[in-house]
Order: sequence, then C-alpha cells, then structure tokens
Amino acid sequence: MKKLLCLTTGLVLMAGTAYAEDVWTGGDGLPTSPLACDGSPATLTASPYNGATVQNAPDLKGKQISIVDVPKLIGIGYFTATAKGVADAAKDLGNVDAKTDGPTKANIDDQITLIDNYVTSGVNGIVFAANDPEAIAPVLKKALSKGIHVVGYDSDSTPDAREWFVNQASFNGVAKALIDNIASQIGEDGAFAIVTSTFTTPVQARWISEMSAYTAKCHPKMKWLETVEAQEDNILSFNQANTLMNKYGDELKGIIGMTTVATPAASEAVKQANMCGKIAVTGLALPNAMKPYINGGCINGVVLWNPSDLGYAATEVLRAAVDGTLKPGDTSVKAGKLGDLKIVDGSVVLLGDPVTFTKENINNFDF
Amino acid sequence: MSHSPSQALRPMSSSALLKFIRAYGQETAVLLSLLVIVVVVSLINPNYLGPANINNMVAGNAYIAVAAIGMTMIILLGHIDVAIGALIGVLASIAGTLAVSGYPVWVCWLVPVLVGVFIEAVVGVLVAYARIPAIVVTLGVVSILKGGLITVTQGVWISNLPPEFLIAQFRLFGIPSPVYFMILLTIAAGVWMRYAPFGRAIYAVGGNVEAARTVGIRPERLTVGVFALHGMFAGIAAVLFGTQLQVIQSTVPNNLELTIITASVIGGVSIIGGRGTVYGSTLAAIFFSAVSSALVFLNISAYWLRAVLGVLILATVLADAMRRRQIH
Amino acid sequence: MLSRYVFRHETILALLLVLALALSANLSDRFFTVDNLLNQGRMLTEVGIIAIAMTFVIITGGIDLSVGSILGLSAITLGVVWKTLGVPLPLAMVVAVLAGAVCGAVNGVIIIKSRMPPMIATLGTLALYRGLAEGISQARSVRGYPEWFFVLGQGEFFGVPTQLWVFGLLVVVAAIILGYMTFGRVTYAVGANETAARFSGMNVDRAKLLIYTASGSMAALAAVIFVSRVSTTRSDMGMGIEMDAISAVVLGGTSIFGGRGTMIGTLLGILLIQTMKNGLTLAGVKGDGTIIVIGSILILTILISNLVNRKRD
Repeated sequence: MKKLLCLTTGLVLMAGTAYAEDVWTGGDGLPTSPLACDGSPATLTASPYNGATVQNAPDLKGKQISIVDVPKLIGIGYFTATAKGVADAAKDLGNVDAKTDGPTKANIDDQITLIDNYVTSGVNGIVFAANDPEAIAPVLKKALSKGIHVVGYDSDSTPDAREWFVNQASFNGVAKALIDNIASQIGEDGAFAIVTSTFTTPVQARWISEMSAYTAKCHPKMKWLETVEAQEDNILSFNQANTLMNKYGDELKGIIGMTTVATPAASEAVKQANMCGKIAVTGLALPNAMKPYINGGCINGVVLWNPSDLGYAATEVLRAAVDGTLKPGDTSVKAGKLGDLKIVDGSVVLLGDPVTFTKENINNFDF
Repeated sequence: MSHSPSQALRPMSSSALLKFIRAYGQETAVLLSLLVIVVVVSLINPNYLGPANINNMVAGNAYIAVAAIGMTMIILLGHIDVAIGALIGVLASIAGTLAVSGYPVWVCWLVPVLVGVFIEAVVGVLVAYARIPAIVVTLGVVSILKGGLITVTQGVWISNLPPEFLIAQFRLFGIPSPVYFMILLTIAAGVWMRYAPFGRAIYAVGGNVEAARTVGIRPERLTVGVFALHGMFAGIAAVLFGTQLQVIQSTVPNNLELTIITASVIGGVSIIGGRGTVYGSTLAAIFFSAVSSALVFLNISAYWLRAVLGVLILATVLADAMRRRQIH
Repeated sequence: MLSRYVFRHETILALLLVLALALSANLSDRFFTVDNLLNQGRMLTEVGIIAIAMTFVIITGGIDLSVGSILGLSAITLGVVWKTLGVPLPLAMVVAVLAGAVCGAVNGVIIIKSRMPPMIATLGTLALYRGLAEGISQARSVRGYPEWFFVLGQGEFFGVPTQLWVFGLLVVVAAIILGYMTFGRVTYAVGANETAARFSGMNVDRAKLLIYTASGSMAALAAVIFVSRVSTTRSDMGMGIEMDAISAVVLGGTSIFGGRGTMIGTLLGILLIQTMKNGLTLAGVKGDGTIIVIGSILILTILISNLVNRKRD
C-alpha cells in the first residue's frame, strides 16, 4: 500500500511535467497593443460611446442620492483604499450617501447576490470592481433597467452592462512601466519571474499579456522564466517567491509582483534571504506596504496609481452621470479635486499614468 | 465523525513487522513518499535540496503542523473543527493588534493562545454537554469569526509590527524558530498521548466511548479538555503564522482548515477513530510544502496542485483500507 | 399528541421563519414585494437543489463535501464539451449532468468499497474534482452562450423564475421518496443502524451508491443552472457551496449522526437562511454582519431544539 501511495504521487507528478512544457506566461491570449519603446504616447483614437444607457432614470440632478460601492472583495489594503476614496468623494460632493460592501473573498456568486440585494433595496447608483466581466453583467443590466446608474472601476464588466468605466491606467501603460522598471535594474539580458494572483483573474492576465508583448518588442533579450500563482495571499506569495529564488539561484535577477499583496511579500522574501541588491523586486504595490523595503534600500521602486483617487474618480463620474453633466460623446469629465479626466475608447475614463514610487517620493503618499 | 467503535479494538497480531505497520504504517508511507519526491525532484534540479529551500520547505508549513497536532486529537475523538482556519486568522490579528498597540511581546504571544483556548473550550462545551455535533458548531463559529474579524478590522492590514514581536523570523543555529516549535510540540504531544493517562484516554474514547466510560473516563470532560488543548495549538500556530512577514493580512486565510484537516488525515489519523499519531500529521505538513515547492521546480502548472492533493488523500485512505484487510 | 407537533424541530423553524419574514418586512418596505421574493427564489435554487440530495446523504449518516467541486467540474465540462469539442449545447448539458453523476458514483464506490468515512473520502474528491476542473480548463472561462440557454437561469415561466419550477418539482419528488416510499425507509434505516438494516435484508450498498450518485447529479444540475444564470463558466464556481448546503440541511433538523431529518425541514432551513441574508441586507446590515447573525442562528437553533427535545425525553 505504501507502493501505491508513492506510485500515484510519482505518476501524477510525471504526468504534470509532460503536460507543462512551454513557459506559460499566464496571459489571457487576447490581442495586445504594446506601446512604443521610447515612450512616445499612444495615439488615442476617438470612438463612439459603447457603454450602456440607463432606463427610466428619475431626475435626481443635484439631489441627494445613495450609492453603494462593491469591490471585488473586502479585507485587502487596495480595496480599503478605494473605499476611502469613495467616501472622500461623497464627502466633497456633499449630496451623496456612499457605503462600501463586498464579498469576503473574490467570489462571483457572493458579489452578484450582494449587488442584486442592493438593486432591490433601491440605491440610486452602483460603483463596482468586477470579479468576472461576464458573470456580473446580467445583474448590472438589471440595475440599469431599474433606473440605477452603474459605473465600474479597477476591473471592468462587459461594456454593455455599465455606463462608464474608470480605468486606473491603460493596460499597455502599466505593462511598459513594470517591464522598463525591471529592465533598468537587471539589464537587458536579465532573467525574471512573475508572481501573480490567479490565471483566472482577468486584469492580471491582461497586464501579463501586454507585458509579454512589450518585452518581446522592446527588451527581446530579457528572459521570462516563469509565472506562478499565489492568489491574493501573503504567505503563499512569500513562499512562492522563496521557491523561485531557490529554484533559479543566481540566474534569477528580478521578480515582478502582479498584485499589491505579492509585491511586498516577494520583497520580504528577498530581504529575509539577504538577497537585497542581488535580486530586484518591482511590481504593483501600495506605498505604505513598501515603505520599509524602499526606505531601507532593499527595493528600488514599485508602480501603482493612487487607489483612493480611483474610488474618488468613480464616485465623481457616477455623480456626473446622474446629474447629466457627463453624456455619451464627451471627451472629458470633471472629477472634483482630480480635475479633468480624459475619456478614451468610447466609455473609459482614464485616471492617468501609473506612478512609480521610489525613495524620493514614497513618503509623500499615505495609502 | 461517523465511526464504528466495534472495529477499533482488534486482537494484536503476533508478528512484529505487522505490529509496526499497524502502529506506524501510515507515518512510514508519508515519510517514504516525502523521500521519493525529494529524491526525484533533486535529481531533476539539485537546487531543490539547497539549504535555503530545505529551510523554506520545513519552516513554511510549521504553523500548519502545529495546528494539525490539535486537529489530530479532535479527529481521534471522532470530531472535526472546520473553524480552525478562521480562528487562526482571528488570533493572528489579535496578536498583531496588541503588538502595534505597544504591549510587551510576551503579552502579544500569550493572549492569542488564551483566547484560542477559551473559544475552543466553548466549542467543546457545546459539543460535549449540549450535544451539538462539532461540524455544526464549528460551521456556525466560522461565520461568526469571519464576519466579526471584518467588522472589527474593516480589513485594514496590520503593519509596522515591532521586530522583537516577529518570533517566526528568529533563528537559532541558522534554523528558523517555527521548526523548533514544530519538532518540540510534535514530540511532546506524541509522547503525552502515548504515556500520559489523559492522552491515552483520547484513544480510548475515540475507540469506544462506552468502553471508556466503564473504565472511569468521563468523555464529556475529556472532550472539553481536548478542544481547549486544540485551541492552545491554534493559538501557537496563529502566532507563528502572523509573525512570518512584516504585515498581518487581517482576513481569514482561505481554505486553511482544509489543509490542516488534510494533513491530519494523510498523516494517518484513522479513519475509524481511535488510531493515529501526531508524527504523521507533522510529516504530512512538511510533505505538502515539499509538493508545492516541487510543482514550481518541475514547472508543473499550479492548477494541478489540488488534483495531486486529492489523489494523495484517496491513495492514503485506500492504502489504509487495504492494510486493515491484510491484517485481518 | 399536541406537544409532539409543538416541539418538533420543524415547528420551531417555521416560527423562526415567520419571525424573520415579519422582521424583514418591518425593516424594509422593499422586502415583501413579489419581485424581491421571486428573485430570492432564483438565488437560492443552486444551494437548494444541492441541499435536497445532501439531506438524503446526511440521513444515511454520511456527508458529501465534494459537491462544490463537482459543481465546478460539471460547469467546466459543459463549457469545454460545448465550446472546445463543438457538441450541441443541449447534448453538452446532458454530458455535464452525466459527468456529475459519475463523480457522485465514484464517491459512492469509494465509500462503500473502502468503508472509509464519507467525510474523508469526499474531502479527497473535493480536492481531486476541483483540481481536475482547474487543470482541464487551464483556468480560462468559457463565454458566449446562445440567448435561449439563459432561459434556465435568467428567464421566467408563468411569471416565476424558471429554475424555481425545477427546484419546486425536485423538492416535491424528494419529499415523496423520503417520506412515503420504500427507498426513503431504507435511507432512514441505513442512518439509524446500518448493521441492522443489512441484517433485515436491505440492500444498503445499492442505496448508498444511488444517493451519492444523485448528490453528484444534483450538483451538476445546479452547475448548469448556475452557468445559465451568470452566463459564463469558471473553474472556481461553487467553491464553498457545500458548507452552505450542509448548514441549511442541519438547520433544517437533519441529524448529522444520521437516521433523522425531513425534506420540509431542509426547505425551511434554506428559506430561513435566504430570508435573513436578504432581509438584513435590505435593512442596511453589511455582509459581514449578516454572516455573524446566520452563524449564531445555526448554533442557537440546534441548541434550543436539542434542549427542548431532551426535556421531553
């Protein structure tokens, strides 16, 4: 019976090896549009409005409205920060009651049920970050049909299920920032690995696709070793980063964290292994979580937008849609303290370029 | 949960080998599987056996091994605790909150252990005296802990932990402290369960409640005691879990309870109740980290990890069934 | 005679349900609308269908932890068979349900042949089936289902959500089988005393095999409805749904030790949980507060029921 156990283990492991031959980047396989290597801006083509239209919306111009913010999940720093932005915007506007409620894990069913209940309870607006673009669509369409305004942020639904989507940064912009950052640290022939959430997470898969395309176009000699999954889990990210270091030894020069959980965990792994300066870590991360590593000199810089601004912008856009000041065909929208935001791709509001946090500027941010 | 007491007490076989297999067969099987993985993977990529990787593999799941000690006792009694993952999340957050509030570190380490003992003792009372099945109580407790944690913390991470609090990062002779905790607690629990009257009573009650009662054991008291003890291990596991990094993610770790229960089961806590040791569960916890590390080393898509674990559980239990048949 | 009915677990549960309904209606004027109630019916169907079969499983003294994973694997089967293999969708739906039945039958065979506790066996297949779902799909979702397919999960039939008809029909059939047919009696007998059931000539193994197969098929049916409701297929579908189903069944008074339980109890359990979830959200309680209440109710109901029943004994 012991043989049985060993045999099964062996067989399963071997079957797995045979199965996974190529380097699997973890991209989503959709078409990519890498930016120019020298940083010349992409040409933004104006396209007709492709968002949805809210039906029979009551005229609430300037009136008090209640909105709910439904992030992918609650309990991670990133969405705590977006929730703060939503609350701040509600306060600045003065005529919005905002509340954040989300599932305790990034689960499609819980998120849908939650939104459904809020639709019934009669809110005037919903801002959301979708766990799955397709799965969330029916319930959002239902909200639209009941006169509720719907705006997405962070992770989009299908465009026909919401009016506007506030994008933190363009996918190819994030990809360029991350790859250029790691290239500048490990050199054009360096090898790096990726720690992502799961390969099912649409946003991460999209970034990875763009990163892969941009690497091939602008840093062709860099070696993409591997992409590993670590969910949005601290300890797992830490363990995966450790295993990557142990596996590749000196060959591994850099690690990119694709989630705000993975990047500090990978930095911690590098620090605890005394590999500061030998292995570069970059990725998406909240400045507060990275201050110990960046101020301590172990890590050079990480990339992110301001998630509070993202929640802030989503709320401002929703208010503008309710008030009728933002209409299909507009090319920009006023978003309170953030000023004018550009509208691209028909119905996508761009927050701006991603910010690189380094020793010089990281202490100016608190989120 | 369901176990038929009649099958647990069987006449001893005369053969010493069979005796050993009966006593430690599952532990041996896990150890051999661990060795197979280590040998195969290190032949493919010698880095697998690098000192750093060994350290990571052995230390990485130490908190799971510690929690699995208590879980093994609970399963031995014929109960289960599906709230252990949520409990560890809550206790780690308590430890972290105390640490950033400036309490002395020993308070930060002790309080979660005491809270763990208290919560599990309450569970034990509900199970033993109110006669609510453990799976029902702990299902309820999961919701309460999960919801409570988020209500209180609002999901804000606990950061800026003082360095002297981070006990899991202490090293002695280059070996991380969780390894010592794991080894010492496993041996202590193993010896205690084999030789101390209270420990032996766990097997007796797990094997046959009524028989145990006739020899003067009070199963209700024992159950509460074992749950409390399980809470202590959960508290220690939570401190080790929460101090591995410099931040504590104040949410309930996903599926941690499944990993811990699986470690106990693969480790050989059997199956019909009344048999199994904590050595097996600790080996199984190390085995898990060896497997998940191996997946990265062998370039196996992490998608298959769960399938591998499933096959392992089934293989283990089938092996156990076959072994029982051979002995008969 | 009267006290037998008054102190029944189902009576306590029914009272609680009335109380929960009254409270919810009081807290929000949007609760007692036809629209909302029917919509809640739509959302409880998947857990409900799984809980029906789970009631049988638990009455035999077993448990099936793998239903969430079977749901995921069946959903992936549906998507892959239809999209990748190009099989017509109606046939793919049948294949998906068959896949679930096979998974359930495998559970049954393992449990019967190896005599291992169902909890351990299905813990193993929980990991195995989810792993297969993730491995087969490579974690990519399948989308683009035709419009007619959404009738099942998003459509209506005589003003009532389609899947609620399916659920209602299954509850009635299951209640008849459990309460009035030989198979139901065998189910109770297996859970009350398996050895006695064997000695009295009942085919215990066949009953178990059928019940676990049914549990897998029901999880697969729930998968098809789920996919139709959310219009996409993902490998992480149904994760944790086994706990929701088990909670509902146990809340409904089915004893985890086997031998006791009713379909009406399970139905009441499902309705009570859904009412609380919906009512509390409409009343402005957030999700984390809601799960605290549900957890407490689960423990308290069983506690009260145990105490009341012990007093009478």
